[in-house]
Amino acid sequence: MTIENTTTLENILSTAQALRWEVGIDFHEKVTESIYTDAVKIADRATTRPEEKPRFDFDRKLDQILTSRVWGFPLMLALLMIVFWLTISGANVPSSMLANLLLDTIHPMLKNFAANIGMPWWLDGFLFDGVYLATAWVISVMLPPMAIFFPLFTLLEDFGYLPRVAFNMDNMFRKAGAHGKQALSMTMGFGCNAAGVVATRIIDSPRERLIAIITNNFALCNGRWPTQILIASLFIGALVPAQLAGFVSAMAVVGIALLGVFLTFLSSMFLSKTWLKGEVSTFSLELPPYRPPRIWQTIYTSIIDRTLVILWRAIIFAIPAGAVLWLSANITIGGTSLAGYLINFLDPFGLLIGLNGVILVAFIVAIPANEIVIPTIMMLTVLVTGASAGEGTGVMFELESGMETMALFEAGGWTLLTAVNLMLFSLIHNPCSTTIYTIFKETGSKKWTWVASLAPVLLGFAVTFVVAQIWRLVASIL
Amino acid sequence: MVNPLFALLVAAAITALSVIIFTPERGFFWKWQHTREMSERVLREDALKHIYHAKNASVTSLAGALSISTNEVADVIEGLQSLELLEIEGVDFKLTSDGRDYALQIIRAHRLYERYLAEETGYDEVNWHERAHQLEHELSPEDVEALAQKLGNPTHDPHGDPIPTADGKMIYAKTRTELTSLNLDARARIVHLEDEPEAIYAQLVAEGLHIGQEIRLLEVTPLRIRFETGQGEHLLAPILAANISVIPVSEEPEKELAVGLPLSSLEIGEEREVVALSPRIRGAERRRLMDLGLLPGTVIGAEIESAAGDPVAYRVRGALIALRKEQAALISVSAEA
Repeated sequence: MTIENTTTLENILSTAQALRWEVGIDFHEKVTESIYTDAVKIADRATTRPEEKPRFDFDRKLDQILTSRVWGFPLMLALLMIVFWLTISGANVPSSMLANLLLDTIHPMLKNFAANIGMPWWLDGFLFDGVYLATAWVISVMLPPMAIFFPLFTLLEDFGYLPRVAFNMDNMFRKAGAHGKQALSMTMGFGCNAAGVVATRIIDSPRERLIAIITNNFALCNGRWPTQILIASLFIGALVPAQLAGFVSAMAVVGIALLGVFLTFLSSMFLSKTWLKGEVSTFSLELPPYRPPRIWQTIYTSIIDRTLVILWRAIIFAIPAGAVLWLSANITIGGTSLAGYLINFLDPFGLLIGLNGVILVAFIVAIPANEIVIPTIMMLTVLVTGASAGEGTGVMFELESGMETMALFEAGGWTLLTAVNLMLFSLIHNPCSTTIYTIFKETGSKKWTWVASLAPVLLGFAVTFVVAQIWRLVASIL
Repeated sequence: MVNPLFALLVAAAITALSVIIFTPERGFFWKWQHTREMSERVLREDALKHIYHAKNASVTSLAGALSISTNEVADVIEGLQSLELLEIEGVDFKLTSDGRDYALQIIRAHRLYERYLAEETGYDEVNWHERAHQLEHELSPEDVEALAQKLGNPTHDPHGDPIPTADGKMIYAKTRTELTSLNLDARARIVHLEDEPEAIYAQLVAEGLHIGQEIRLLEVTPLRIRFETGQGEHLLAPILAANISVIPVSEEPEKELAVGLPLSSLEIGEEREVVALSPRIRGAERRRLMDLGLLPGTVIGAEIESAAGDPVAYRVRGALIALRKEQAALISVSAEA
């Protein structure tokens, strides 16, 4: 290429650049639009459409019911309730089978094996009572509900119902400055917050996606349902006659879950009025035609893609948690264990907000997995009160009957306020480490990961604090 | 146990205090952080930009623009001189060619980022300038080039200002004039809405004015400017109108100013033809709608309303697409079925 040519080329380029400025800002859009329009005309000429499918009318009928002003919301609530009920009651049997196998069969075998080869007590305790037991616990509590919830959820998605949920709920999310598809990531969060955070990928726009990620923690996840159910049936159910107990405690749990939904809206609205100001930029939601779900494929992919991935992450985080728990209960300085020191240190603050030191320590230890909150609380209560229950220092356990559990909690100084605040705090506290890690991976921002982790804890302290003070105030007046 | 009433009062006091400290933008903490972030470099870059834009920049105008004292301005000027970015001729500040390139780099980063905010995110229009103002100092040249690539090397920011090229060229369209200097009855297209000061910009946005809109000037007096757009007549004070720039267009308009009905006015079961997408739908959203086949000439029918009334799902080319009311209001459809 000669020098002359280069200069002409440069001339042409700079002229072109100057002309781009001259034609104005909307030139690009106009060209794109006309290309699209031409493409559509050509495509329309070249394609023939088959007759309208017979399913079309069926779809329209179904949509008229599922999105009607009268039936839309009740049907949605009913379907979600059925999914939760199937998950919770369906998970009971496999969970206890797994617990039987992992906790009651393999664990004693491992202990026997350790005793036979003369393993020192601390190694045996650290490995089998600490690491193994925590991991086994997480698997047996977490795996069955996830293996039921995720396939059910995916079936609804596959059938085409979930986009209708987003369609119905969008108005509320719009008022909160968020995206209707957040309804889907929130619902997914009821199964697992980590999965819910990943599910926010369906939201294109960064601002709305960030809101969905940060607020997902307020969807009460599977790991927290068991805590809610146990405490509600022990304390709330006990307030009413026996024949109403089941219903009342179930309503208490539903109430907590609905409070979570309410907090999701509230915090979304707060964020979009303050640090993430703005409006939804791109909203278009496709409502696909209904179709029969592909059951086997759905079950296979949802177990491989969702359940096992999340379970694996949870196991990785449960291993160090088990180790820390066992060590903190067994390393003693001057006759008091590390856990004991921490409990004594946190007790005044815990009591102020209507909880206690044991519960706060349990929530710290259970950052890796909310599933172990209750067993940890029971183990630590035994450690502190010296009550006669459990299987040794630093060993998590479960009591067969509610009476025994209740007796243990009462020995720990629990009142109705402790129970109510535990339920509240279980809803409103930091996400588990799996979720925190997922938030970091999805946002790529340390700042927002910190916000998403710390803001809920602070809110939880505030809520339990206010509830405790008002409770005491009312109690002192009565 | 602490007296609950006392505890509540203490907590309320702490909350009130932290609200005062942490209120977004106005809180003490953010103000403190803002001054801390105003490092020497940021001040220098802002000063360069100000001198580049202002017709006759002075120490006082710099102090006002950067909100610092005149003494501090003197330090900044000294710094710029020692870096050979600025020369002083008499009382006039003059950028060296390096200084000019530097300023254009910052302007490029600012305008590209505003474009990104406008096209790809849902951040509030009034906050674009502020966010871009912060980011312009943080983006590295590589980041800026990556952003330009991603946006398809745009030529203008969302307010209609040209974006300088990577090699530091920037031209304002030759035919661009102020709204007030148009002939009566002339047709023109809005090409620029000045985004500073924010209060005036917010009023222009509230009037529903936007880039790309065609207008016809009806009356100019020292007290008011009257013109019409597709949305009807507008009356503006001269101080507002001075922030609008236009390019005259040929007498034959492409379409009539008023076009069709908003899609949001369709009753369930009605069908219409799409006439146009408003220029206010832009970037990612516009591409998405065009991908879905919402183009002039496409038949669109309102089919179902959600349980809460909004959004409404429309049948477009066989697919069912839900749109929110405010979005549907920006799509115009034929008045007749």
